Amino acid sequence: MKDQHNNIWIGVQDKTNDPAFEEMASQEFYELPIVDSLADDEFVEKSSTNRRDFLKYLGFGTGAAMLAASCDIPVKKAIPYVVKPDSIVPGVATYYASSFVRGGDYCSILVKTREGRPIKIEGNPSSTITQGGTSARAQASVLDLYNTERLKSPAQKVDDKFEKIDWKALDTAIRSKMSAGSNIRIVTNTVLSPSFKAYFQELTNRYPNTKVVTYDPISSAAILRANQESFGDKVLPNYRFDKAQMVVSFDADFLGSWISPVEYAADWVKNRKVDTKNPKMSRLVVVENGMSLTGSNADNRIKVKPSEQASAVVFLYNKVAALVGGTALPEINGSNAVNGSAQEALKELAKELAANKGKSLVVSGSNDTNVQIVINKLNDILSSYGNTISFSGASLQKQGDEGAVKELIREMKSGTVDMVILNGANPVYDLPNSAEFAEAFAKVGTRVSFAETMDETTALCNFLAPDNNILESWGDAEPKRGHYSLIQPTIQPLYDTRQKELSLLMWLSTNEELAVDAGFGDQPYYNILRNYWKANIFPKQSQFISFDSFWDTVLHDGVFHVASEAAPAVFAGDASSAASKINKVSSAEVEINFYETVNMGAGQYAGNPWLQEMPDPVNRTVWGNYLGTNITFNGNNDYKSFKDLNQDSKGNTDLAEVTANSLSAIIPITPTFGQMDNTVSCGLGYGRTVVTSAGKDTGKNLFPMCRYNNDGLIQYWSECEVTKQSEREREFACVQYHHTMGVTGTKEGSEEVINVDEEVLSYQGSLTDRSIIYNAHVDEVGDFVEKLTKKRSHAQYLNKKTLYPGHEDTFKMGHHWAMHIDLNACTGCAACTVACMAENNVPVVGKKEVYRHHEMTWLRIDRYFYGDVNNPNVVYQPMMCQHCDNAPCENVCPVAATNHSSEGLNQMTYNRCIGTRYCANNCPYKVRRFNWLDYTTADIWPANEYPINGEDLPFGADNLTRMVLNPDVTVRSRGVIEKCSFCVQRIQEGKLTAKREGRRLKDNDVKTACQTACPTGAIVFGDRNDKEGMVSKQMESPLNYFALEEINVAPSVMYTAKIHNRNTKMDA
Amino acid sequence: MLHKRIHIKVFLLAAFSFLSVSLFAEATIAEGKSLFKANCAQCHAKDMKSKLTGPALGGVEERWSDYPREDLYSWVRNSQKMISEGHPRAVELWNEWTPTVMNNFPNLTDEQIDGMLLYINDAYVNGGKKKGGDGEVVVGTDKSDDGSNSMFYVFLLAILGLLAVILARIVSNLNHMADEKEGKAVGRRATLVEQLLSPKVIGFVLFALILIGGYTTVNNAIDLGRQQGYAPEQPIKFSHVTHAGIQKIDCQYCHDGARRSKHSVIPATNTCMNCHTAVKVGSKYGTGELTKIYASAGWNPNTGKYFEDNVSYEAKEEEYKKWIKENFVAAKPEASDKSIDAEVTNQWNAIAGHLGKPIEWTKIHNLPDHAYFNHAQHVAVGKVECQTCHGPVEEMEVVQQYAPLSMGWCINCHRQTNVQFADNPYYDSYEAYHDQLKDVKSGRTGVTVEEIGGLECQKCHY
Repeated sequence: MKDQHNNIWIGVQDKTNDPAFEEMASQEFYELPIVDSLADDEFVEKSSTNRRDFLKYLGFGTGAAMLAASCDIPVKKAIPYVVKPDSIVPGVATYYASSFVRGGDYCSILVKTREGRPIKIEGNPSSTITQGGTSARAQASVLDLYNTERLKSPAQKVDDKFEKIDWKALDTAIRSKMSAGSNIRIVTNTVLSPSFKAYFQELTNRYPNTKVVTYDPISSAAILRANQESFGDKVLPNYRFDKAQMVVSFDADFLGSWISPVEYAADWVKNRKVDTKNPKMSRLVVVENGMSLTGSNADNRIKVKPSEQASAVVFLYNKVAALVGGTALPEINGSNAVNGSAQEALKELAKELAANKGKSLVVSGSNDTNVQIVINKLNDILSSYGNTISFSGASLQKQGDEGAVKELIREMKSGTVDMVILNGANPVYDLPNSAEFAEAFAKVGTRVSFAETMDETTALCNFLAPDNNILESWGDAEPKRGHYSLIQPTIQPLYDTRQKELSLLMWLSTNEELAVDAGFGDQPYYNILRNYWKANIFPKQSQFISFDSFWDTVLHDGVFHVASEAAPAVFAGDASSAASKINKVSSAEVEINFYETVNMGAGQYAGNPWLQEMPDPVNRTVWGNYLGTNITFNGNNDYKSFKDLNQDSKGNTDLAEVTANSLSAIIPITPTFGQMDNTVSCGLGYGRTVVTSAGKDTGKNLFPMCRYNNDGLIQYWSECEVTKQSEREREFACVQYHHTMGVTGTKEGSEEVINVDEEVLSYQGSLTDRSIIYNAHVDEVGDFVEKLTKKRSHAQYLNKKTLYPGHEDTFKMGHHWAMHIDLNACTGCAACTVACMAENNVPVVGKKEVYRHHEMTWLRIDRYFYGDVNNPNVVYQPMMCQHCDNAPCENVCPVAATNHSSEGLNQMTYNRCIGTRYCANNCPYKVRRFNWLDYTTADIWPANEYPINGEDLPFGADNLTRMVLNPDVTVRSRGVIEKCSFCVQRIQEGKLTAKREGRRLKDNDVKTACQTACPTGAIVFGDRNDKEGMVSKQMESPLNYFALEEINVAPSVMYTAKIHNRNTKMDA
Repeated sequence: MLHKRIHIKVFLLAAFSFLSVSLFAEATIAEGKSLFKANCAQCHAKDMKSKLTGPALGGVEERWSDYPREDLYSWVRNSQKMISEGHPRAVELWNEWTPTVMNNFPNLTDEQIDGMLLYINDAYVNGGKKKGGDGEVVVGTDKSDDGSNSMFYVFLLAILGLLAVILARIVSNLNHMADEKEGKAVGRRATLVEQLLSPKVIGFVLFALILIGGYTTVNNAIDLGRQQGYAPEQPIKFSHVTHAGIQKIDCQYCHDGARRSKHSVIPATNTCMNCHTAVKVGSKYGTGELTKIYASAGWNPNTGKYFEDNVSYEAKEEEYKKWIKENFVAAKPEASDKSIDAEVTNQWNAIAGHLGKPIEWTKIHNLPDHAYFNHAQHVAVGKVECQTCHGPVEEMEVVQQYAPLSMGWCINCHRQTNVQFADNPYYDSYEAYHDQLKDVKSGRTGVTVEEIGGLECQKCHY
């Protein structure tokens, strides 16, 4: 085993010992050169403050301060309920089980409400699908409720402007447009709600010319069609990643965004945790061109161009068929099927798959039906069906087929469509032929939208019937067959909106007052839903005899599961005819692939500031999409960058013009390790034009660059041309190089390992051999444990020789809080970072501030590469305050604003902090954040407030957005340091619960926000003094280490070394 | 002989010693006061003149003057014992106050009781008026009395100052005369005005002013936002004396959040209605205040039922006006039609805008946003009496903020208060403390909040 942790790097500059980067890395608060700001014309124009203004501000400031000091204390009111609901105790959180559903995205959730307002989303452990995990998207969804730019009432377009009307007028107007022969089209993304679908059916019954057009912007139609052909069931199968020892993914980002990432991640991780006594783990091989989140978690990546994907599948199939028996398929392009190195790797992969027959799983993200049929056949000969894939519990999370949209456009063009009802779909933005759609759409007489916020398609409608937010609605979902889930409201509708199901019902009824007459009361859809479940879901089970107890239980649990066995799948497709139809490999020089990002989805999440500010897990970029380009190293510091496109560590990057499908866009680049040469990749979902202000003009929309294939399915790749621009991107917001710690590199021209800090600061004594990341191959765990133990005991020996001994039993009594993070379970999905922002009122700062290294996240996920520099492995390390028991930040604070508690917490007291920032400078982990500006809009000086994306009123300055704040956590003002508190408010709450119940504290009493958000259970928090507790058990593993243990700061966060299962035979 | 130089310092020294003696007496009274508040104020009236649960304490020493003082001490420590022993004064009191039993205070020392008696006497004679600002806890209502007291002191100080100047002048004159007599060279002596305007004096005065000014500024700045004694008028004249004092309703019957939430919770109107559907006429304010509750709850006092949803505003107005009128006439049969109409309009206007709406109480106890306080922790876990922080609310006709709610006040209590260690298994993890508690030799009798981290920042600020 090589001395591996010296071969860790975070990016190009790190690898090449870029002096600018080294200088930056050595500073806690990297100051961008003032010249940059002064050279910025916009900056100079904007800064209109002159001497007179200064004097005015000064005079006003002093006067206001005196006034404030002499003023009477404002009279506050305490307003109780008239009739207090039993379930609400002011000051105590109430949790409701519900579901997060957006299109096909699904997560079973618990909604935390305080005094009647939802403030946080938690995972629901009762769910058989998400198993208590959440995604970043689900975590961020609570902020959408308080979006000030939501559509606030029904409206009708008059003279190109929407004018407010009331619901009755809207209903009358819509109903008058419906007649028995009307051609009505409902345009929607995947709908998971069985009760809503029943209304679609009813609408079709009443108006027989009604059609439901379902499509998904990120489509899985090919899998649906392939399964229709292979198994006669147009559905996504139930992938069982927990049963697979060998997983192969062809461009399917199942840990990040593909179909049901929370479920898949939770399942996949079950076979990735390592027991040192019997080291074994599953293998993951990803075949792709750009590094996806799944690819970064893979043991081996095989790099093929997007156009080679199909032939690579056939190639692999033939190699596997030769080993396990099966008819060979016609080869595509013969020996040129895929590039040489991939061929070798695929041959090796075929051997492994054959050896794992019945325990392997092959998935593909391709949207080509023929490819998916071959994948089905491959899984069939590997006996995956019945083992790792089944059709019982088949997934319904993608139901769309864009073929229907093509037909819709044809109909609209011919003018035969009378009415289009948009159910949250946004085809004018997210179709490759959106312009064509928009043109045809204009010919439809009545265009109604259920959208919650204005979007590109809704803007073209003539009626708005805004839907409630999901946290204000009743509803249900069936994400997988037999897995039912309820949605219940947690707050009254904030605006004059109506849930879409009810709108449809009102338009269906001939009697205007039907809903009221039927005695549905003030929550009509509640009764409708209940009746639907009574008639349709209740009979499917035998556990409950009375419907009431069934309903109450399901409403409490949020989920209900009916076990059902589907007939075993028998492959009946024609793989060879499918293979023969697969397109030939393209000969274009450069190819681009477009992928769904973890945070933006297909653009439907673009209006959410939390998700905009969440760094892309792989690229670590925020507020926009960036073109991933290749970097090839020839050893040492000699590297070649694709088309000479470079990024420097000062926050500048090259711009490239990408031309594909005769469209072009200028996009900033981010050189990405593991990106295949002569390919580039870029995320979708950015460049929205009509969206709430957070998403406006961030990045570029690349949907128009996608194409349809011969079957009418969207292909998410294209041939393209890339040209370097002379202009550069000046505000490159990438957190990759912010807050780096302990950078090591190799000295130019030699193999000598140096500490970059030491080299730059030219003083001696700092450590070169820093323990930040350890990694080992699963077969070498024994050796590795030995080395790790040796290294750790050396550090511990030195630490014991401290000049100030004898505080060892300080934390023996009471609690001693600690956290354990298993780097093998962490997939880097970033649900924890968003959960942390939601829980701890962490402000959003916007692109420019991120570019200035001012992001406020308490929990960042560091991404490190290791292994082969041109096809590296990745390890993600969640990094937050380590709560050092010998904390260097504490003894430099001149005002004791940060100090230590008897329970081992590093406490930050905002009101004491005077903002010297000594603590942050002295923090070896660089986890302290300073409020440079008034990010929370907490103080009274508007000049300190900073718009995050050019909005008029700074984000969070209005009382509605502030409703999302956690009332138990102080909102920090300008000029103070803040950092992870180990969710001290949850600790205190958990302790109080135990005290009140008169018992010892248990594991489940205290869970941090990041812990509850994690879909894979990578984070465990608890009391180290409780020897029976989970965290104590976790901390016993010999694979564990403390980051920077050698500097004797005694951190409280322990990491498990990354163990991978790379097959070096695949490295050609 | 006059030869000896008399120094001004001597006078200053004398003046200081006089002051300190009086300050010492003051301190004893102050100590007595806090002891009285902590131990006696629940049952004995603070004015020492009126009876409460227990007798008025004014002149207690006279009443016990026939017996040795030790008898009074032992009465305070254990009254029932003295009654059973047949002490004549004790039996006399018992006959008068049966069945009320006085609590025992075995831990009070003779000095402490003397201190309390000093305070009682002081309060009885002077009405508890404070003498000067000694930094002691000042109850808000007392503040208005401060003025006359401090005026007296300013006057006294002025006289003393004048006296000092005159005496200094005399001393100076005498010294001058002595110098002349001894034939020393005597120059022109500075006049009084010249002396007062000399750089030394001006410098000293300036220095003193800055010192006093700074001290006052800092103290006032610390007090910014503190509202001790804050007793705002509430929308309903709710009497805690009636509810908590006379009717002895448990605090947590209405403030039901105190045991389970961070907020003690102002009760919802429907909590009031639990009793006031039956109790329709108040003992102090008749029906005037209760009508406001009915208006908030949407209850028709005439029929004893809640209004249906479809009852119009006018119909409700009619019902409430009828109720107001009937009750007013019942209370004052002699009232003229005009005054009845005026009263009805008056009372109706008070509730007109509030039908079915919550009652907007004025919040008295306001903590800053960055301070986290949890009632459940103190009430359910710490078993702290409500009165410890809120004072004798059951005696407050209008509730006022009793404690300063300052950080120093919190911290002090955390230093002094013992944790309920013994019978809560939560604290089992503090093994060393448990061992020490069991071990008599360790001298440990309890574990204070401070000792389990109760002074740490993030217990209250996060």
